[in-house]
Amino acid sequence: MNKVLLMGQANVGKSVLFNHLAGAGATVSNYPGTTVDFDKGHMMLQGKKVDVIDVPGTFSLQPKDRAEEVAVKMLEKEKGATVVCVIDSSKVERGLYLALELIEKGHSVIIDLNMADVAENANIKVDTERLEDILGVPVVTTVAIRGEGLKELVSRMGEAMPAGIESITKRVGGKGGTSTHS
Amino acid sequence: MMNHKSTFGSMFTVIIGIAALGFGILEFVGGEWGPLTVDAGMFTAWRAVILICAGLIYLSSVTNFLDVRQLGKTVVASIMIWIVAAMDIWAMIAASIPSGAEEAGEPWFASGTEFLAAYGPPYMPAMYLLLPSLVILYFVGRRRLAR
Amino acid sequence: MEQALTVDQRWDLVDKITKETVEVGAYEPTLRDAIAGVTVRPLTGIPFAIAVLYGFWTFFGEFAGLFTDGFFVRIFGTHWIPWLAERLAGLPDWAFVILVGDRAVFAEEFLGDSCFAAGGVLTTGLFMPFGIVLWAVLALFLVLAILEDTGYLPRLAVLLDTVMHKIGLHGFAIVPTLISLGCNVPGVTACRPLETRKQRFMMIALLGVFVPCGAQIGMMEELVPGLIGWVFLTLAVGYLGFGWVLNKILPGESPEILMDVPPYQAPQWSNILRKTWMRTQHFLLVAVPFVLLGCAIVMALYTTGAMDAIAGGLEGFLATVFGVPASATPSLVVGFLRKDLAIGLLPIETMTNYQVFKSVILLTIYFPCLATFAMLLRELNWKEILGTLGFLVAMIFVFGGILNLIGMAGGW
Repeated sequence: MNKVLLMGQANVGKSVLFNHLAGAGATVSNYPGTTVDFDKGHMMLQGKKVDVIDVPGTFSLQPKDRAEEVAVKMLEKEKGATVVCVIDSSKVERGLYLALELIEKGHSVIIDLNMADVAENANIKVDTERLEDILGVPVVTTVAIRGEGLKELVSRMGEAMPAGIESITKRVGGKGGTSTHS
Repeated sequence: MMNHKSTFGSMFTVIIGIAALGFGILEFVGGEWGPLTVDAGMFTAWRAVILICAGLIYLSSVTNFLDVRQLGKTVVASIMIWIVAAMDIWAMIAASIPSGAEEAGEPWFASGTEFLAAYGPPYMPAMYLLLPSLVILYFVGRRRLAR
Repeated sequence: MEQALTVDQRWDLVDKITKETVEVGAYEPTLRDAIAGVTVRPLTGIPFAIAVLYGFWTFFGEFAGLFTDGFFVRIFGTHWIPWLAERLAGLPDWAFVILVGDRAVFAEEFLGDSCFAAGGVLTTGLFMPFGIVLWAVLALFLVLAILEDTGYLPRLAVLLDTVMHKIGLHGFAIVPTLISLGCNVPGVTACRPLETRKQRFMMIALLGVFVPCGAQIGMMEELVPGLIGWVFLTLAVGYLGFGWVLNKILPGESPEILMDVPPYQAPQWSNILRKTWMRTQHFLLVAVPFVLLGCAIVMALYTTGAMDAIAGGLEGFLATVFGVPASATPSLVVGFLRKDLAIGLLPIETMTNYQVFKSVILLTIYFPCLATFAMLLRELNWKEILGTLGFLVAMIFVFGGILNLIGMAGGW
């Protein structure tokens, strides 16, 4: 593993997270041939130096504008990278769509439920263990703005791995059967 | 949406906020007014800044007093007051124990009356804020009971 | 590759997953989390940090004052030292000087403070560690343990991260720095979480050079209380300024440092007392032998006349480069052993305020005490040790020179 990509929609605290992971030596680069800028820096992962890229915010992998196009291109170029899918804990369903797309494409994904504080204030509770069971990839909770949970996020990055969408479909609703109506 | 309003709470923050702000400015001025004293030591500017900031934090949490984020701010402002007041009390305690005498044969510890006198007025501004600031504990306790 | 889902299928799956894992209305926001937010957001967090640091220093100052000025100056000055001088009066001169001190101090007409003036191993040598420094480090270790156990220390680091990034440093630096204010030895150990050699070297060099330890601070508080603010300001400028310079010129990476930020919690007093006691105990074991040895060396140099020779040799150098009188020589000699002892030996009465200020700064930056140096040997390789020594020699001349020039310009 030599690269970490931070992916997620705009306004999920992705850049704050990036600053805590790789802020000090970060540089802003311009994606060739576009006006889209992205941040790039380094972090230490299991004693090794790895690149961290703050990919432009994207809602899905079907690009709607230039920034999203760049995001998808960067992702395609870095097949072997660990992808941190940053999700706003108070709007899980929006972020999960992107997470499922990433999983379908076969990337090694770790889910970061960020802004847990906002979710708390909105009385929203996410069952991270169950989510981890269903998705088959690591799920961690962070409050990047307060520096909380970052250590766990980094220590579990190594567990990020591809998961099968078929098995997710099978696992969901396997317990309790709450998904019979929608 | 829950109702986060509390008239008592808002009145409390307005009054203590203005008081802390005023006392903070007094710390910059220095002097003695009856039972109130501001002794301009090494840290007087620090205390001034702390009290003024605490006052502003109180005043910023007047509306929606019971909202947890607002309540968090009042608790933090109160802790700032408690730190300053606790240090004033600690200075009194430290001054009340030894007799201050240096010759052999004189007592080591302060006499009972000397000891008690050390705790008499005048007091520093934060001491006057200490008691009212404890009101916040009532709200914290009520919140805990409600859950 | 697997069969891709259609957009609708995918939304359907998202829907099912969220139904199973997300509960709205279930979470009770906690006051503890709200407080955590308030204390790391700069607008409210910085005033709170000022209040905490104010508490830190006031508690420390009053605590040390209560024991040192309230009791120990009298215990040593009025009782122990005169009693010992009387008992040992029959010893041969050299032994009396080393164990008790200068006989002139015990003459009727002497008016100074015998605690410092005596200088012997059993007088000043015991007064400094047990009368002054013990109470200072005890107070510092106690407050540090409280800051650690409540969970405030890592939050202070998060709060400072944004500010420190502007000069290429990390908020994490506050953790070893605050610990070093107690004692540099555990401060150096606290640098272990730093990821790269560059960071560790930088941090340790900055700690060793610019951060005074609790023992030194205790002595300053006792002897030059009015100057402490200026000393700290000057050292902080050096720490931040040269931190920035080192970060620019040193090769290597300076990646982010991740800390565990645990939730706020009420401290466990038994744990705090245990921690404070263990650190204080360690301090006593490390410090006391060196202070006693230092006193013995200084008094031996005095009786043999060697101190005058050294002072004479250094006089011109000290005066031109730093503007410090030769009478500060003994202090510089023992500075290699213990900095608290060194500050205790400064001839404060015969120097101007500005000379005292310069000397205190020089003593702080000039050599880590022996115990810290032993730690450096363990934590750094020989190249980095030479680098640290080179850095501190450079700092002595840069800082001492600049301060001297400022003094000349200001006519102090």
